[in-house]
Amino acid sequence: MTLFTQQLFNGVALGGVYCLAAIGLTLVFGVLRIPNLAHGALYMLGAYVTYFFLTTVGVPYVAAIGIAALILFVLGVLLERLVFHPLRNAPHTHHMIAAIGAMFFFQSVAQAIWGADFRRMETPISGSLHILDAEISAQRIVIIVTAVVVLALLTWFIKRSIHGQTIEAIEQDRTGAALVGINPAMVSMLTVGLSALLVTIAAGLVAPINLLSPTMGDSLNLKVFAIIILGGLGSLPGAIVGSFALAIAETMTATYISSAVGEAVAFVVLVAVLAIRPTGLFAKAVQR
Amino acid sequence: MLSLENISVGYDATDVLHGVSISARPGELTVILGANGSGKTTLFKTISGLLRTRSGTIEYNGQTIQRTRANAIVKRGIAQCPEGRHLFGKMSVEKNLRLGTYPHRNRIRTEEILHEVHDLFPILKEKAAHPAGSLSGGQQQMVAIGRALMSDPSLLILDEPSMGLAPLVVDQVLESIAQINRNGIGVLLSEQNAKASLSIAHRGYVLAEGRVVLADDADKLLDNPQVQAAYLGL
Ligand SMILES: Nc1ncnc2c1ncn2[C@@H]1O[C@H](COP(=O)(O)OP(=O)(O)O)[C@@H](O)[C@H]1O
Ligand SMILES: [Mg+2]
Repeated sequence: MTLFTQQLFNGVALGGVYCLAAIGLTLVFGVLRIPNLAHGALYMLGAYVTYFFLTTVGVPYVAAIGIAALILFVLGVLLERLVFHPLRNAPHTHHMIAAIGAMFFFQSVAQAIWGADFRRMETPISGSLHILDAEISAQRIVIIVTAVVVLALLTWFIKRSIHGQTIEAIEQDRTGAALVGINPAMVSMLTVGLSALLVTIAAGLVAPINLLSPTMGDSLNLKVFAIIILGGLGSLPGAIVGSFALAIAETMTATYISSAVGEAVAFVVLVAVLAIRPTGLFAKAVQR
Repeated sequence: MLSLENISVGYDATDVLHGVSISARPGELTVILGANGSGKTTLFKTISGLLRTRSGTIEYNGQTIQRTRANAIVKRGIAQCPEGRHLFGKMSVEKNLRLGTYPHRNRIRTEEILHEVHDLFPILKEKAAHPAGSLSGGQQQMVAIGRALMSDPSLLILDEPSMGLAPLVVDQVLESIAQINRNGIGVLLSEQNAKASLSIAHRGYVLAEGRVVLADDADKLLDNPQVQAAYLGL
């Protein structure tokens, strides 16, 4: 029972990380109508930039994540403007090839600056808390709390602020959005920027638990794609539910079966969803 | 004053509009009559910046706008309620209306116009919290007109607002359009219902196969034998 509670908390913390990563990807899909295959590479860069500010520059942990998130926001805006925007009327395959190109480019940049070896980001938050019968590391508590706060802010932004509402307006009706004066080019930049910002927060939070490497984004990429396909492409609630479902399934499988099987859960989910219900569990929210 | 000079527009190799010249005077209600496929929607999309002219010029209040993007044209004061409405179906009626204020985002003006829209279409106040997509066709048309009004336009373009509506609702919608025009907003309206629309209009054009075939004051068009034969079944 102790083990189960412990792993449940770990699963929820991992779910929070997936959530921050998956939401941006699903928003980008909703607005640009493309799967951003470079998303995992943005996550990796986010982790390295956080690492740089924390260890090389020496700013406090939270500030390092904040600065990295802002830098990645700008990078996301540039990625949209320089790579996706020029291809907006091109066939979808061009987008995907460009995104993969961007991914390799980002990985090479990271390797050139920080090398190919694994790096460890020292846990700045130590200690642990006893909750129920489990002992939860403070880092995981921070992850869960941050994920909840960021999700609440994001929901407020998208649902309540007029600039955030432009994202959903474009998703729901592009022509309608243009006719009320919304500039689709601006919203596309905002959305990719926001997705890079969110995935950086995820990376900064989880980096002290995992190791950093230029290819660390690859497995995350697969998982977030499994999540947003599971949740229904473009669906926010789908991405949130999908994140926690996959994370908990992964953690439990790793605990009770084996960690290799845990890693494979995302693939199994991906294949199963594509075979049984390709539109995702929240498909209704995507249609119309 | 909106004036289109000799514009040609097309989607692929061939043109759909061939040298069309039309003007809409400030504060007037101008109607474009034309059968299905005559080019009314193409014309309006071009004015709103959703399509580009191949030749000719479009001027609004003395400024050339045929190279201006759709989102910037709304800021110049030309709002469009498009064919098919293009509402944000999953958002509430109120959100749809408030997004209409995006070009100015002036708090005071927003509340004023919202009030006017609710006066015009009281049902929208009642349905404020409902998703726009869940409303009846007539009510959705009201949301679409209301959303266009929220941008505080000097010219409102309405593309066949009565399309697919029950006759009773058509009368109601046309009456509100006449009211909007009486409130001082210029209206450019496309219709297949010639009698009802000409009776509230100042001027009218008849479009056929992408060309203007008739242009006159609305009352003269109502008496025109060609119009009567083609549209009034007389
Ligand atoms: N997206 C499009 N692509 C190609 N041709 C189009 C398109 N939309 C309209 N057309 C053609 O342009 C002509 C005018 O259409 P339209 O402007 O919709 O007329 P109306 O609004 O008067 O019914 C028609 O012949 C139609 O087939
Ligand atoms: Mg039409």
